[in-house]
Amino acid sequence: MSTEPKPLPIIEVLNLKKRYGLIQALKGISFSVGKGEIIGFLGPNGAGKSTTLKILSGLIPADSGEAKVCGVDLAEEEGEVRNHIGFLPENNPLPEELRVIEYLKFRAMLKGLRGSRKRDRIRIALDICDLERKVSERKIGNLSKGYKQRVGIADALLTEPRLVILDEPTIGLDPRQSAVTRKMMERLRGDVTFLLSSHILSEVEACCDRMIILSHGQIVAEGTLNQLQKEFINRTIFEVVALTNRMSLQKNVREIDETCELLQDEPVDVSGKKRFIFSTEKGEVVAEAILRYLVKIPDLRVFEFQIERPDLETIFLRATKKNWEENDHLGKKRSGFKKSNQLI
Amino acid sequence: MIMTQGYWVILRTEIFSLFISPATYVSTFYFLALLGVGFRFFIESFTGTNWILPPLSSLALGLLFGAPALIPFLTMRTIAEERRLGTLETLMTAPVNAVSIIAGKWSASYLFYLMICSGAYAYPLLVCIIFPEQAKSLGFNQLEHWIGGFTFLMSFGASFCAIGIFSSSITRNQMVAGMLSFSLITLYLAVMAFSYGEPSQADQFNSYEDLFAMLGGSLYRGLDKIQFFALGVLHIPTILHQLIVVFFFLSLATLQIEKIRH
Repeated sequence: MSTEPKPLPIIEVLNLKKRYGLIQALKGISFSVGKGEIIGFLGPNGAGKSTTLKILSGLIPADSGEAKVCGVDLAEEEGEVRNHIGFLPENNPLPEELRVIEYLKFRAMLKGLRGSRKRDRIRIALDICDLERKVSERKIGNLSKGYKQRVGIADALLTEPRLVILDEPTIGLDPRQSAVTRKMMERLRGDVTFLLSSHILSEVEACCDRMIILSHGQIVAEGTLNQLQKEFINRTIFEVVALTNRMSLQKNVREIDETCELLQDEPVDVSGKKRFIFSTEKGEVVAEAILRYLVKIPDLRVFEFQIERPDLETIFLRATKKNWEENDHLGKKRSGFKKSNQLI
Repeated sequence: MIMTQGYWVILRTEIFSLFISPATYVSTFYFLALLGVGFRFFIESFTGTNWILPPLSSLALGLLFGAPALIPFLTMRTIAEERRLGTLETLMTAPVNAVSIIAGKWSASYLFYLMICSGAYAYPLLVCIIFPEQAKSLGFNQLEHWIGGFTFLMSFGASFCAIGIFSSSITRNQMVAGMLSFSLITLYLAVMAFSYGEPSQADQFNSYEDLFAMLGGSLYRGLDKIQFFALGVLHIPTILHQLIVVFFFLSLATLQIEKIRH
């Protein structure tokens, strides 16, 4: 029997709360992140993403709750955590008058790097972020937004951090520049843990192992894409392109699954091919069984069959909708209460 | 460890940014040029004046009264510009604390101020080299006058720079920071330059007037203390008083940074 100790998580958060004046930004969130994971941190504006990231990077303190990052208890050693992590803040403000190489040297020295180690780490960070020598000699103020983001990421990677926190790293970037960021994360996958906050859901879907969805300061969903699909989308949607009519196909499909519903049918081209979209509660296995049955019918020609997997956007909207409605309801209740108080 | 590590790096970077700033060069040039002209006329007409202190003290007073115009150029950018660009937040993501940021920025502007003071002291030094006889007759050969005058400037310059750093920390606009530090330093000089009542000698106070007199005791005719320094006597209460002012304003600036961070 193996007695190997379980590796400690890089991030451990328990019942974390934070309030800004009257606004409760975090209402007691708990989660943990393992070594080498790439986590997508999602949520609508004002959900508490940036607040959480700032707390985890030791920039601001939490009001209550526990948070450990790389084994450092943030309540006790808030500043110490900054030795172990790289952080790219939202909007990534940089000193415009400095050259890229000067800025990275300054940041490396601030982070305690000296001599040959400083030179090596700067070279490696420039290489990882595809910042060639010519760019490193240019003033930051003269760089495009994409290059500025890369400078910020290079800074975050300077000290070989175990955890890199990226707050909206691809906001305002074109697809090619976003791809560079994704490539960088792919290159470091497994060695470095990434906590990535983004509104670009397709990007999160493409590169993250797991997602945490926040809404109104609470975690409303957490898991891999498959887990979230199972949790939030309980019907399987599949489409069939076939040369047949609606009634006949529906009858054949119902031979296998009586609960299967035809959602839509539309002509594909002039030859009479039609696209039929069905929905079943019984999962992908039944949808595949329906396909096997349809292809065996001699008079029926099936040209295409596809099971549609709901994308992250659909899951995100479903996950945040319930919480949004609850908060909206509470907000209305409160304002109603205020109004009635005023009337009294 | 974090504190000292960040302090030295910030100090170095701030000095570098002062050296590459055209505003610093322009202000330093005009300041030293005007001071040089004033000093020349003063030593030329010294024998005809009723100035009772060594003539070298005029240089220290010239530098002191010029400080409200000079110090804002050295300090107004330091934090206000970082706040405007948002780079203060980026700076805080590195393992440095607010104390080392403030101390580093203050030290850089203070060192630059001392460098300008040293530049001003080059005038009497030139007189010593080119006209040794006249320099001797003006008392420029008295080393204690040099040390006393420079210590006077060092102690007051430290507090003026602290006021400048504090002014820069409370606004995003460097022009506002500059004007605020000009006003505060001028006010501080005015308070020290004029008499506003005898300081209370009593250990206990019976009225608000006594309390204010006791609190302001060290400010009372603060600039008159030049008479000690000009003769080479290091007046420790004045130095301590300026150190308290430094500590007070730098603490306020640190608290301001912490407030922004949270």
